[in-house]
Amino acid sequence: MSNLFSGINARLRGTANKPVPAKSPISSTPLTDDGQLALPSSLSQASQSSTSLSIASKLPPLPASPSLSQTIGMMGSPEEALNAYPLPRPLPVWLNPAYARHIVKGNFMTLSARPKTVEQGEWVAHQVVEHYRNLWNFVRVVFEKEEDGKTICNATSCPRMSAGMNHSYTWLNNRFEPIELPAFEYITLMQRWISGKIDDTKIFPTEASGVSFSYNSQITTTALLTGPDEWVGKRSGFPKDFFSICQTIFLQMFRVYAHLYWAHFTEPFYHLNLEKQLNSCFSHFVLTATALDLLKPQELEPMQPLIDLWAANGTFPPESKAYEYANLKAGARLLQLGGMA
Amino acid sequence: MSEGEFAPPPTPNIESYGPNAVYNRERCYQLAQGFFKDAVRRARERHERQKELKLRLESPELLSRRELIWSHSGKLEAKYLRFLRTKEELSNYAIVKTIGKGYFGEVKLVRKRQDGRVYALKRLFKSEMISKEQLPRVRAERDALAESDSEWVVKLFTTFQDNVSLYMLMEFLPGGDLMSVLIKYQIFSEDITRFYTAEIIMAIEAIHNLGYIHRDIKPDNILLDRGGHIKLADFGLSKGFRKDHEKSYYQELLQRPVPPSSRPQNNRHSVNIDEISLTVSNRAQINEWRRSRRLMAYSSVGTPDYIAPELFSTNGYSFEIDWWSLGTIIYECLVGWPPFAAETFYDTYRKIINWPHTLLFPDDIQLSYNAVHLIRSMINAPDARLGRNGAAEIKNHPFFAGVDFSSLRRIRAPFEPPLTSDVDTSAFPVDDLPQEGDGEEEGGPAPGGGGDASGGGLLLGAEDPEMFLPFLGYTFKRFEKSYTA
Repeated sequence: MSNLFSGINARLRGTANKPVPAKSPISSTPLTDDGQLALPSSLSQASQSSTSLSIASKLPPLPASPSLSQTIGMMGSPEEALNAYPLPRPLPVWLNPAYARHIVKGNFMTLSARPKTVEQGEWVAHQVVEHYRNLWNFVRVVFEKEEDGKTICNATSCPRMSAGMNHSYTWLNNRFEPIELPAFEYITLMQRWISGKIDDTKIFPTEASGVSFSYNSQITTTALLTGPDEWVGKRSGFPKDFFSICQTIFLQMFRVYAHLYWAHFTEPFYHLNLEKQLNSCFSHFVLTATALDLLKPQELEPMQPLIDLWAANGTFPPESKAYEYANLKAGARLLQLGGMA
Repeated sequence: MSEGEFAPPPTPNIESYGPNAVYNRERCYQLAQGFFKDAVRRARERHERQKELKLRLESPELLSRRELIWSHSGKLEAKYLRFLRTKEELSNYAIVKTIGKGYFGEVKLVRKRQDGRVYALKRLFKSEMISKEQLPRVRAERDALAESDSEWVVKLFTTFQDNVSLYMLMEFLPGGDLMSVLIKYQIFSEDITRFYTAEIIMAIEAIHNLGYIHRDIKPDNILLDRGGHIKLADFGLSKGFRKDHEKSYYQELLQRPVPPSSRPQNNRHSVNIDEISLTVSNRAQINEWRRSRRLMAYSSVGTPDYIAPELFSTNGYSFEIDWWSLGTIIYECLVGWPPFAAETFYDTYRKIINWPHTLLFPDDIQLSYNAVHLIRSMINAPDARLGRNGAAEIKNHPFFAGVDFSSLRRIRAPFEPPLTSDVDTSAFPVDDLPQEGDGEEEGGPAPGGGGDASGGGLLLGAEDPEMFLPFLGYTFKRFEKSYTA
């Protein structure tokens, strides 16, 4: 595609409000602070009733003030842009442009672009299921037992659900207290929660007779309803909290991807020669999630440098939201460090 | 460029991982490739449909129907997305009746619980597929049917699997197979034979154009739809004819003059006939022979009657083997039995190999010169066989003078199945087949493996059957243009 490898010199787009990560360790914040994190109340309700555990998180830091982010974006050098991230040195292998490549060429956007006639909720539901199946394809590699009974991701290798030094995620127990769990247990509980949602036909209806279509003011005469009683997927029979459930699913899947990159990129994916597959699935995931507003820009933080790199090297086309959320200077710096700029 | 900015990548070392990781690696690799391959194909097809939609929306004649066109498109796409999202499993279908059976599996008439539509569901047993080395064949059949969008080929809607079986959900063709029509009418006139032969030519040409050789063209695999027109199927239930397998089997047979093991297993149904006693005046015996042959097709033995001789040799074969098979079918339609029919399979094999001496036409049946010429051109050496240069040279044979091949499906078929309901199985030999539960519509047994009844969920601990390496990528879902709203 024309836009592959063409974004290196593109200017930073004015709308980029990428947060500057704080270097301080993340403080534990109660779940009630849902202005920051897309954790709908339905999540904890459901978890209470089923597993007596709820998902919560040590929240990422609040985004720094826009002025600071803009200052760095507009005025800082590429080197400063990259140094603003709390990254270990030497940099992780997966930020090396030589290992950030793909098994797919061309514009990934065509895979997640909603056909105009399809109702938004139906398309979101489709994407949730596709990306869930895709992600678990990789989780399975680190989760299945070897002949000695051990899994690659285990309580010794990953005692916490972490994504680098500065991010680790906790569960809430049934007293709403955040508890740390090994990544294996965290992901297992999360998977049970997600499949519980996806398999619930009240949340993800499957009846062929219940389908609808999208409005088009030029063509469809039925008036477009707006207001508090309208929601994504309503006309296709999806419940009111459907979209927020999907946002939570995507946030949780993002955490798993982040853990796979930070903890398992070399062990085992690079060794098993699967890093290109992982890169392609994750970049498709980020493009889809941002395009459909299933992930907010500040939620991308643990993987922001890789997103910057993919914006800079043309993986994310300039018209995509993922590109909009990227710091091209940091991406350009990574390309430069990798000898590709 | 700054050296040492990045952590140095270790040398990839797959050997440091155990066998399960290596297996999981292969599976992950294939699934990721397969995901993008499917996603790109679906996006491309979606794009084509959207382009077509745009044209229709812009068409002045359709101006008054634009809203309907728009909503219909949205709903069709949405139904397909729900279909993709839903896990297919046996319990989604109510079984009506068993309509076919063979060594590797069976075909059942089923009704989808969700929308009440009727389908033919073919089930193949995984263990048999592996132990009998049928995987390439099963895969080829799935690919051919999935790629085909031809009116001459039975339509495959979806494929799915559980721990024990592979399933192919296909359109139900209520007219039964050509074998049943032959049993009913004994022989065909040349006009009727011309109609069926012309349709079969179109069907074989359609699969050849997709790059597939059918390899098992026989009256049992030629099905009749509601209007009595033919569609090609390969229910793949007879024993496969893998080249190296047949060769050793055949050579072993040849080394032993009368090997008792080559006799049909089910001798009770075998009828003692040979080419001398098979005459037109002996119709009852012909049909008894056909009936017994059908029963033998359910056994492990299969029937070699329609197989070209080069399939038994080491020299390889190509598309023209299917034209040999058609030649034997034309013979059977006009004469009443296939040209190399014999009491034992061993004798049939022997006759096929010696076809220049064994292809005989009975004196008491009057055949036109063109009919005999056509049969002799097709039951012929591969390098001289009619059809080796494509289907056109068969269509141009004088036997088909006046046939308009492009409009065949629009003319009335000679036999239209008289049907009483959407699950009418009167055209199928259901009485010969063991039925579960007296034909009551009842649920299929729960699929094997406890953990995977949970829709899209892949719960840990339970092996998801779709994750079983040899059957990866078997699952397929067709976009259906004719969903009813």
